[in-house]
Amino acid sequence: MEVLQNIQLTKDVFSLKLGGEFSYEKVQAGQFVNILIGDGKTHPLRRPISIASCDVEERSLTLIHRVVGVGTHWLSELKQGDRIDLMGPLGNGFPLPDENSKVLVVGGGVGIPPLYELCKQLSKLNCYIDIILGFRDEDDLFMVKEFEKYGNVITCTEDGSEGVKGFVTCALVNDEEWTTLYSCGPLPMLRALKEHFSHKEIAGYVSLEERMACGVGACYGCTVETKDRTATKRVCKEGPVFSWEEICL
Amino acid sequence: MNVNLGVNVGSLELRNPVMPASGCFGYGKEYAEYYSLNQLGAVVVSGTTLEPRLGNKTPRVTEVTAGMLNAIGLANPGIDAVIQDELQWLAKQDVPIIVNVSGDSVEDYCRVVEKVCASGLAQAIELNVSCPNVALGGIAFGVDKKVLRNLVESVKAHCTLPLIVKLSPNVTRIQDLAVAAAEGGADALSLINTLIGMQIDLKARKPVLANRTGGFSGRAIKPVAVRMLHDVAKEVDLPLIGMGGIYSGKDAIEFVMVGASAIMVGTANFTDPFACPNIIKEIAEWMEREGIKNLEEIRGCAL
Ligand SMILES: Cc1cc2nc3c(=O)[nH]c(=O)nc-3n(C[C@H](O)[C@H](O)[C@H](O)COP(=O)(O)OP(=O)(O)OC[C@H]3O[C@@H](n4cnc5c(N)ncnc54)[C@H](O)[C@@H]3O)c2cc1C
Ligand SMILES: Cc1cc2nc3c(=O)[nH]c(=O)nc-3n(C[C@H](O)[C@H](O)[C@H](O)COP(=O)(O)O)c2cc1C
Ligand code: FES
Repeated sequence: MEVLQNIQLTKDVFSLKLGGEFSYEKVQAGQFVNILIGDGKTHPLRRPISIASCDVEERSLTLIHRVVGVGTHWLSELKQGDRIDLMGPLGNGFPLPDENSKVLVVGGGVGIPPLYELCKQLSKLNCYIDIILGFRDEDDLFMVKEFEKYGNVITCTEDGSEGVKGFVTCALVNDEEWTTLYSCGPLPMLRALKEHFSHKEIAGYVSLEERMACGVGACYGCTVETKDRTATKRVCKEGPVFSWEEICL
Repeated sequence: MNVNLGVNVGSLELRNPVMPASGCFGYGKEYAEYYSLNQLGAVVVSGTTLEPRLGNKTPRVTEVTAGMLNAIGLANPGIDAVIQDELQWLAKQDVPIIVNVSGDSVEDYCRVVEKVCASGLAQAIELNVSCPNVALGGIAFGVDKKVLRNLVESVKAHCTLPLIVKLSPNVTRIQDLAVAAAEGGADALSLINTLIGMQIDLKARKPVLANRTGGFSGRAIKPVAVRMLHDVAKEVDLPLIGMGGIYSGKDAIEFVMVGASAIMVGTANFTDPFACPNIIKEIAEWMEREGIKNLEEIRGCAL
């Protein structure tokens, strides 16, 4: 694919817009792409990055990533017109609810991007969307305005420099009658959410991260145990989105 | 000029010398979404054990410079499920099937081999002898000559298919183990399995892999693999299958020049899902350029 635009959103978060040959029509919110870093000679393993937005008409994809190492650093330095090699869309995305449902969307850090495409899809279904976004601090905020187009957004920061102080669960004071929770972010956050809603009738879907080699289901590198711990599922193939009843968080 | 890519590995006739390596291609279904498997010399399936195994805790894969470490821990659904859910499907893809058999006791290996042979779905067995031997406190079968010879002999008695023994590189003189496998009755040898490695996470101040160590594979190990194939070819008169860091047709030819009849491609599948078909094409192009009609003309020429 070809780089259309590379924008820096915060000190270490970048938004990469790509165009060119891709199965845009097939994209489900929550799916990911697997990106070759450079020519792949020193970096044989591709980097999985979620699809933050897919524009079928414009034929473009947007990926939002945080620089944490050599691969994401390479991505952050791409220029307009550069070509990159990626596989996808891969995995299974978020199952969508009935029309007019009342849903809760919770994202933490770079778990936030895939929830943006999800909110686009939810709004097409006329859903009422409450959105909680967790960041480190006020300088770490990104995409908040974009999410506000689709729902009622509450932001949280770990240090309280913006919005609610503390983790996303601190923003859950008056629970509404949500039918479904969609979430992506650090494991402790997903666990806290599951704990918080353990006595409620709510379907929970979480998107997981695991180190990957093949990204297509062939190497069994990225597995997560099922709830009863008697089998495993592949995050890249059966996931990255799972019902929280299905797996062992 | 027309090149003939067909090769024989003992009694096994392959349409070309390129096969995906065990553990790097699942049971074929995933890559069949990218290309039709009947282009391949054969498909080697993931390491299969008697009982289902979940494998090691994650993280169980990580990248290192020009390679990777894996500690999958033989995750697989067990031989009965593999035959039922995977080999039945794979057998319809018009490509020879080689089942990689793993175990932690001689008895387990023999029972899996029996089941594979009885299924009538596979064309050969590849014995993964890099697994820890429980009776010997977890030391791999493939690092001791007597243990290895005994394992191969026992398995051979239950095996009605060609038996390929896959050698471990984690030994001082791999040719000695090759001789032991030959004495045990191996029909062919494949090498190398992964080298044992470790990577440290500086922030966490501990190994990246939950298992601490992992098998090192990929581009970076190729010179070691070529040297080991060379050393084995000099001492053993069995058909050899080379692997370790093969990413291109030229990489594959290096192994042929030190005596390999065929080659396997592992980690390269992860970098490029089309690695195997590309390598097949590159081998044919190289042969054409060099005026070689059959790989036998150059096999072992660098020994
Ligand atoms: C399904 C999925 C979707 C993801 N979506 C996003 C996203 O939208 N935005 C974003 O910023 N990040 C996302 N990540 C995390 C992202 O893959 C890692 O941050 C990235 O691989 C780090 O690569 P690196 O070379 O910069 O880091 P390094 O630490 O140098 O990477 C070394 C190796 O570890 C792997 N690795 C390191 N951290 C992670 C991690 N958290 N998850 C999986 N593999 C890791 C790398 O892929 C690489 O193989 C996602 C991960 C998964 C599994
Ligand atoms: C993720 C992974 C899983 C593997 N699983 C097996 C296995 O189950 N049985 C086996 O004999 N070898 C296994 N191997 C070893 C490979 O088949 C091969 O010997 C090794 O990776 C060297 O080749 P390469 O450098 O082309 O990857 C595995 C390798 C990798 C990377
Ligand atoms: S990364 Fe290979 S199975 Fe998921």
